[in-house]
Amino acid sequence: MNQSKILLFSSLLLLLFSCKPENEPVKWQATPYQTEIPFGFPTNLNIPSDNPLTVEGIALGRYLFYDGRLSGRTHADSLMSCATCHIQSRNFEAGIDHPRFIGGFVHGINGQQTHHVMLPLVNLIWNHSGYGWNGFLWPENPVPDMRNIEDFVRLAVVAPDEINGDTTRVKQLFQNLKGYPELFGKAFGSEQITFKNIERAIAQFVRTLISANAPFDRFLRGEYQLTASELNGYVLFTTEEGADCFHCHGGGGNPLFTTHLFYNNGKDSLFTDPLDRFGLTGDAADLGKYKAPTLRNIAASAPYMHDGRFATLDEVLDFYAHHVVLSKTIDPLMHHVLQGGVQLTPPEKADLKAFIMTLHDSSFLTNPAFAQPDTFPDQR
Amino acid sequence: MNKLLPIAAVLFLLMSGCNNAKKETTAPGELKISFKHSVDGKELITDNFVYTNAAGNQYMISEIQWFLSHPALIRDDGSSHALFGDEGIHYVDTDLPETRQITATASIPAGNYRGLRFTFGLNEADNRSLRFVNPPRSFMFWPDYLGGGYHYMKLNGKWINTNGLEAPFNFHLGIGQEYDSTALKSSFVNPDDCCAGKHCEGFKPPRKMMPVKAFIQNYFEISFEEDIRIENGKTTLLELDMQVEKWFNGKHIYDHNHWGGSIMQLQPAMQQGCENGAEVFRLNVKGFTDESK
Repeated sequence: MNQSKILLFSSLLLLLFSCKPENEPVKWQATPYQTEIPFGFPTNLNIPSDNPLTVEGIALGRYLFYDGRLSGRTHADSLMSCATCHIQSRNFEAGIDHPRFIGGFVHGINGQQTHHVMLPLVNLIWNHSGYGWNGFLWPENPVPDMRNIEDFVRLAVVAPDEINGDTTRVKQLFQNLKGYPELFGKAFGSEQITFKNIERAIAQFVRTLISANAPFDRFLRGEYQLTASELNGYVLFTTEEGADCFHCHGGGGNPLFTTHLFYNNGKDSLFTDPLDRFGLTGDAADLGKYKAPTLRNIAASAPYMHDGRFATLDEVLDFYAHHVVLSKTIDPLMHHVLQGGVQLTPPEKADLKAFIMTLHDSSFLTNPAFAQPDTFPDQR
Repeated sequence: MNKLLPIAAVLFLLMSGCNNAKKETTAPGELKISFKHSVDGKELITDNFVYTNAAGNQYMISEIQWFLSHPALIRDDGSSHALFGDEGIHYVDTDLPETRQITATASIPAGNYRGLRFTFGLNEADNRSLRFVNPPRSFMFWPDYLGGGYHYMKLNGKWINTNGLEAPFNFHLGIGQEYDSTALKSSFVNPDDCCAGKHCEGFKPPRKMMPVKAFIQNYFEISFEEDIRIENGKTTLLELDMQVEKWFNGKHIYDHNHWGGSIMQLQPAMQQGCENGAEVFRLNVKGFTDESK
């Protein structure tokens, strides 16, 4: 054995004998939260590595989601939180019957209407294909702060047509609210509040918004038998000779009831919206494409389509049955376009709607775990 | 202290055993298969009406997604050596580059093989609903009413129809159905579209109204006779080329104007497609890579 090896061995011995942990301080650790995967749902979750789900993070996120001081202001007229627009009973959209946002068209604190109508906050933990109607926030975005739900929080807080807030002001406000710094400490190991941790907490809460107990889910589990009308509707939903919804909107083999992908579904023949999928990709084949949203709880989240043009499900079904429009970039999956649509008869529409209603999960829309807390940390 | 001494001893032994002499080791041979999609001998161009099939349909392809399963090398004696472990089902997507090459996970004995075979799609035993829960595989589900399991292939595009219009087509292959066109009125039948009688003589209800009485397994096996050599320490490259135009030109001339844009419930169309499928694939043995182990 040569001299260098003797030296190395000796050094290792010294290290072994000298290292002696003594009274090391207990490191902070939040409680990991295990997402329960419902039957048939994907096992791959979109959880960023720098923001794992924790019990403390989710609890904090729920407060922040509902706390109107997320606007960075305290005056009653200036409060605005995520929950101002994202109403649980309306599938975490505003809903067509919102008393403040007429027809479900939301506007920010300054009264400026948002460019598109809302998308529901449902089962987003399984979305790997981009958030927003054109998917502008996606995991592989070369722009690092435009990738995930965390970034959506920041954008909503600062957007002029949403909360129109200031991130510094927001974090300073919460820093001075009794109870919040302690919750940040439990969730993130520091009572020094950063806006990044505000984003993380709210994103963690949003990732827990899981809807998987609708009558159709119980049917898949063998706990519920569809009625004849619902069954007819399911057949129409999943057949090309029927309504052919399933290629874009899932089904028994894809219980998300969305692919989260982007399609031109034949609403228009001319496209002027700068925020369609083409607006993001620059690929001419993406003109007029928008995300196919989930159909879970869809009855609660009118109006429909990216611009809210349809107020009711009946209007949507009529559109797909008779009013689909040809364009250069119509998706090949819209193979009934030259007939104007899938040509459903009135009884077929009724059956299809009955099936869609089996995706209505009342337990999600009323789950206390997702509801506004009774009090906020500084009100205890 | 008592625990540290054995650790130190092990370290000492390890270090005294190390010497600078390199030992000769030879890793087993590796096999990679890359997937290519071509039309008329050239790399597939998507979203462009540059193709005309044997039926005279001018057409374009937007995307192709398909499954192959249980690829295996064939030995001289006719036996086969599976390239993958228990699942052996691979998804290929023209939009996802990461799906267009696979590396065999099974250890392959060095030697000469006389060919390759695989199943296009999934066989009856494999084709079970909800076996894939994660996208993009889960998006290939084939509705239970139509047989369940998964699409073997989605080949989407458009053709110029007899009216000069761009008509979408979904050339989707999977389990076929046999419909009972003489079924009595059932809850699936819309009374408004049928006569008042219990059984409508001469009336053929649309397929969406007819109950299914049987399913047809349309998957098929493909095999190639090619000399394939596996050598220890080397990577053998194979290229599997899907010659897209041959889906429409083989045993049958497939005409979109005849079959229309959707065929999942049209077994005769899917049967034509699958019978043409026997000639769609071409295997190119590319030899060894420059990598050595």
